[in-house]
Amino acid sequence: MTDTLDLEDLEALENLECEVEPEETKADRTARRRTAIHDIEPGADWNDVEHAMLTRRSIRRFKGRQVPEFMIRRILEMARFAPSQGNCQPWSFIVIRDKAMIAEMEQSCVAVCKGMTASVDYTHYPQGSAERAAILENTQKLNRASPNSFHPVPMTAIKSIANGRFAVFHKAPTVILILKDTRGVGVPEVDIGVVGTNIVLAAQSLGLGTCWIGFARLLNSNPPFLERLGVAPPFELAEAICVGYPIGNPTQQTVARQTHQIIWWEDGEQQILH
Amino acid sequence: MTSESGAKAIVDPDHLPIWDDPAQAMYRQVTIDLDKCDGCKLCVVVCPANLLELFGPKDNLKVRLKGDVTGCMSCNNCFAVCAGQGVFATEPYDFVGFYAQKRIGAFAQPRKF
Repeated sequence: MTDTLDLEDLEALENLECEVEPEETKADRTARRRTAIHDIEPGADWNDVEHAMLTRRSIRRFKGRQVPEFMIRRILEMARFAPSQGNCQPWSFIVIRDKAMIAEMEQSCVAVCKGMTASVDYTHYPQGSAERAAILENTQKLNRASPNSFHPVPMTAIKSIANGRFAVFHKAPTVILILKDTRGVGVPEVDIGVVGTNIVLAAQSLGLGTCWIGFARLLNSNPPFLERLGVAPPFELAEAICVGYPIGNPTQQTVARQTHQIIWWEDGEQQILH
Repeated sequence: MTSESGAKAIVDPDHLPIWDDPAQAMYRQVTIDLDKCDGCKLCVVVCPANLLELFGPKDNLKVRLKGDVTGCMSCNNCFAVCAGQGVFATEPYDFVGFYAQKRIGAFAQPRKF
């Protein structure tokens, strides 16, 4: 070959490259994907899905900027593929991006929290007072009947909501209400949790922040408003997730959390791990 | 059962904790390393329980806990946003009696297996 290339040489080179890197066949591609999935060494770095799980935080402070519509559609597309009992998919969504409506939802929840605080918050009264003793007795009766709703942690939040220190929907630009089909297979509440996890992780992977808003169920005490929103039997408002752009960089570092007991049975032996 | 006695609670796993008794409802104080704090205020903004505040001269602001730490969920959102890793909760909240934390171990960062 001379040091100047003519057209014929270029063609030859192109053909040569083709021989070195043949187009990937379908079988090759399948094999490559299998390798990528199964060829994980112990201690390997986090993959993208794990990374999204580890850096997800519950975001309660959002920038004012609205999330583009396509992103919300993209997130809800991931929700559609969540597993559910008997593949019954007992969910439906209401997306609220209307500031006035979110403000109305907020007011409705605050009103309920004010009522709750007045009737159950014995800490408002001094130790040893008759009012405190009376409310404490009433609260603890409710607590026995409904140990989840009257858990001490949300009670602190309810007080903060009532006195305006804490916004239920965190002034998020978009709120997704998750409705539950009450006729779902088995325990539809579990499916609501699963579908919401898809929503939250999909949003995280797009750089958005989310927060589960269980307090959204307080809206169930306002039937006219629910009707206006479009909640009707057999659907019930089950949960809400607010979505927006987080303030700061909450994915800057992962956080420490407690470990949980794992009882591990193998080869007829039991081990306790954490 | 409406006893407010923490001593009684220890022997009664059914006891409902008194919300404003720090011996029965144990919300953990977050640890703050002032040398690592640059007063950026992000932790103050993200704390869901609104427990943090800035103090000090304008050119050298630092973060501290407000008087009452009731309500810290040990979520560590403060740590997640802190560039200097100067603020963090090291223990989960806990209650005496019915809501006592069970089957848990110490706080740990994500571990690679």
